[in-house]
Amino acid sequence: MPKICFYLHLHQPHRLRDISIFDVGKPGANYFYSDQKDDNREIFLKVAHKSYLPMLSLLNQLINEHEGFNCAFSISGVFLEQAEKYVPEVLELIQRLVKTGKVEILAETYYHSLASLYSPTEFLEEVKQHEAAIQHWFEVKPSSFRNTELIYSNHIAQMVAKMGYQGMLTEAVDRYMGGRQKTKLYSSYAENKLPLLLKHAPLSDDIAFRFSNRQWQWHPLSAERYLDWVELYPENDYVNLFMDFETFGEHQWEDTGIFEFFRVFVARFLQKEWNSFVTPEMVFSQLKPPDVAKLPVYDVPEPISWADIDRDTTAWTENELQQDTLRLIYSLEKKVKQTGNQELLNKWKNLLISDHFYYMCTKWSADGDVHAYFSPYETPYEAYRSYCIALADLQENLI
Amino acid sequence: MSQPAQVMMIGWEYPPHNSGGLGVACHGLTKALASQKTQIHFTLPYLHTDKVSHMKLLQCSDDSWGAEGLETLYQPPFSVYDTTLETLQVRKSGDLDQYALRTLPRSELETKVGQYAKVVASAGRKMKNKYQVIHAHDWMSFPAGIKLKQKTGKPLITHVHSTEYDRSGLGSGSSYIEHTEYLGINAADKVIAVSHYTKSILVQKYGINPNKVAVVHNGIDPLPFYPDRGRHHFAGKRPLVAFMGRLTLHKGADYFLKVAKKVVEEVPEVLFVVAGSGDMYHELLFQTAREGLSASVLFSGFIRDVQKEKLLNRADVFMMPSISEPFGLVALEAAQRHIPVIISKNTGVSEVMTGSLAIDFWDVDRMAAAVVKLVTDQEFAQQVRDGQLQNLDHLTWDEAAGKVNQLYQQTLAET
Repeated sequence: MPKICFYLHLHQPHRLRDISIFDVGKPGANYFYSDQKDDNREIFLKVAHKSYLPMLSLLNQLINEHEGFNCAFSISGVFLEQAEKYVPEVLELIQRLVKTGKVEILAETYYHSLASLYSPTEFLEEVKQHEAAIQHWFEVKPSSFRNTELIYSNHIAQMVAKMGYQGMLTEAVDRYMGGRQKTKLYSSYAENKLPLLLKHAPLSDDIAFRFSNRQWQWHPLSAERYLDWVELYPENDYVNLFMDFETFGEHQWEDTGIFEFFRVFVARFLQKEWNSFVTPEMVFSQLKPPDVAKLPVYDVPEPISWADIDRDTTAWTENELQQDTLRLIYSLEKKVKQTGNQELLNKWKNLLISDHFYYMCTKWSADGDVHAYFSPYETPYEAYRSYCIALADLQENLI
Repeated sequence: MSQPAQVMMIGWEYPPHNSGGLGVACHGLTKALASQKTQIHFTLPYLHTDKVSHMKLLQCSDDSWGAEGLETLYQPPFSVYDTTLETLQVRKSGDLDQYALRTLPRSELETKVGQYAKVVASAGRKMKNKYQVIHAHDWMSFPAGIKLKQKTGKPLITHVHSTEYDRSGLGSGSSYIEHTEYLGINAADKVIAVSHYTKSILVQKYGINPNKVAVVHNGIDPLPFYPDRGRHHFAGKRPLVAFMGRLTLHKGADYFLKVAKKVVEEVPEVLFVVAGSGDMYHELLFQTAREGLSASVLFSGFIRDVQKEKLLNRADVFMMPSISEPFGLVALEAAQRHIPVIISKNTGVSEVMTGSLAIDFWDVDRMAAAVVKLVTDQEFAQQVRDGQLQNLDHLTWDEAAGKVNQLYQQTLAET
């Protein structure tokens, strides 16, 4: 009986190529691909084939078949660049979906960066740049905001409210929820209050992480069982299923039955007329300021995210390798921007992509497996080593 | 002048296979000895397929080696020495570098070295009329040398290129290897140390009679081409300080980082490059980040040949802050390429490279001051370069071979 807010995240970083110290200071050195080898292209093609193309087609079908189906996408600017360059068909499919009016595009940072934590000026610039890109490709203006990896704090909410967005999406973190339900609407703890939709991690992760796990007691998960779990929530509650787009077809392969599961689930859920899907905009636009003022407050003094068990920002900022490279790259902001050199600015911005720091994470145990799965490097140390070489080259250009 | 000696030389590695410091030294020395008419039979624990004409190579591998004795070994059953840079080889089963080697059960080490001794002794006994003196290089060959001496009664010279004290974490080495070294230098009629520094370790730590130890510094073959020095190679806008070596405690890479920290405070644009790999790698990365040097100290990873050449040709300063270095060939390679070198006093090369700047490895302030002076004072840098090139004129293998030949004669005269 609750409403489902279903949002999928589309992002591919520009991964560093196998850059060597001998590239430092080479005119026009490219950090991300060479003429001989472009791993980003290979990865994008692979994922497009396994996930983007089939899932976008499925979503298109579902929209055609079910009046009540809708969803939201967050698409990083660097994803759009790669889609245009490598598989334009992906862009066309998204455009078609957005045209139906059933798919909302969320606002975010262009470079999927950690700028909200390190540089308010860069944060604002990237959000603007992203908005322009969305306008360019889809002719829509996002009204709801989701930050990189759902990174959120009171401070960030205030910055986002000032930019004029209607509401935000983030994670429900136990230590700040105080036992309250994540299926309600909350407001930010900030001068300018924003309504918030909080991710339902257990139900999201049932699909995103556990679906194909044979050790899991509910494997194989049927659409019917999942529907039972969702329907436990009362009317007017929001079950917010937030996940990576690649969940469908890449993290969970086609042969796990993930596509069929989702198709059946949507059909069964919508068979009951009291059930509905909503997009963030549908929720937020209904709320008048006095309504928002009455919402319970979600007070998050320290940044949270949807990553790892800790649901904080330690996936990117925990160790010294990450801290020093983050310090250095953001310390170059003024210098780089003062040069007015577009190529240099581009390089700098692409080095802000949060994935570079994610690859340097040395937290092991269960989280380590997830980091290793996403990393193109054999070890976090190689990620750091390569990044430092790119940093040194950037500095060389500033001397 | 007496007859040139005939020598049974017991080796472990030889270029191009596992051509670490030991292999390179054996190559240089035997070539020069041969040109002085010394006849050499040189044993290796594997089949050496490249052509060698200045001496006779003897394959002394045990049948049980290789893939259960089915395959012929083309390189040593394990590689014992760190080199200035790790050699890149397709590793076969049974071939281990010294770090993997330390994890081997002691019994396996003993077995392999013991088997080599047996094979060498049996081969050496059959041809005992063809040589007068036995010359064994480093501990893997010492048991073979001792055995052959016992069987033939011929005098034994053991040649110490490095000790377990240098290679290991300074006193935390393998007791088996230390013991083997001890037995080797005690059983020998004469001992050759590659430096006075190494001799002092043998005297102080192994308690050997100093009169038995002769110092013969290694030589270096002259560069066959003029070095292509300059900033055009890479990172052309800033001074570059290079470190090359295994990233282990005794090479002092952590001191290199401490010096970098100090230098960058004074001359921020200096770039430091660490070339090599080893067990301290991750720790050094963390140290770099902790000190805020992520864009000032770059790690090249393991490099060789063309890349090594490129880095040396580009470097404005070369640093070898070793805590313990029996010789230190790479400092000579840097000097040959006209790079001002800063060396630790605990190195063999500091005895012969008087033109280089020798500083205590722990004296970070003085090391940093030396780097700053070299990158800011071109005249001074030139002086250092010139001094080093003069030193190099005397560091020939011919000179080393002359001393070794003398020692052969002396040993034969005494026994």
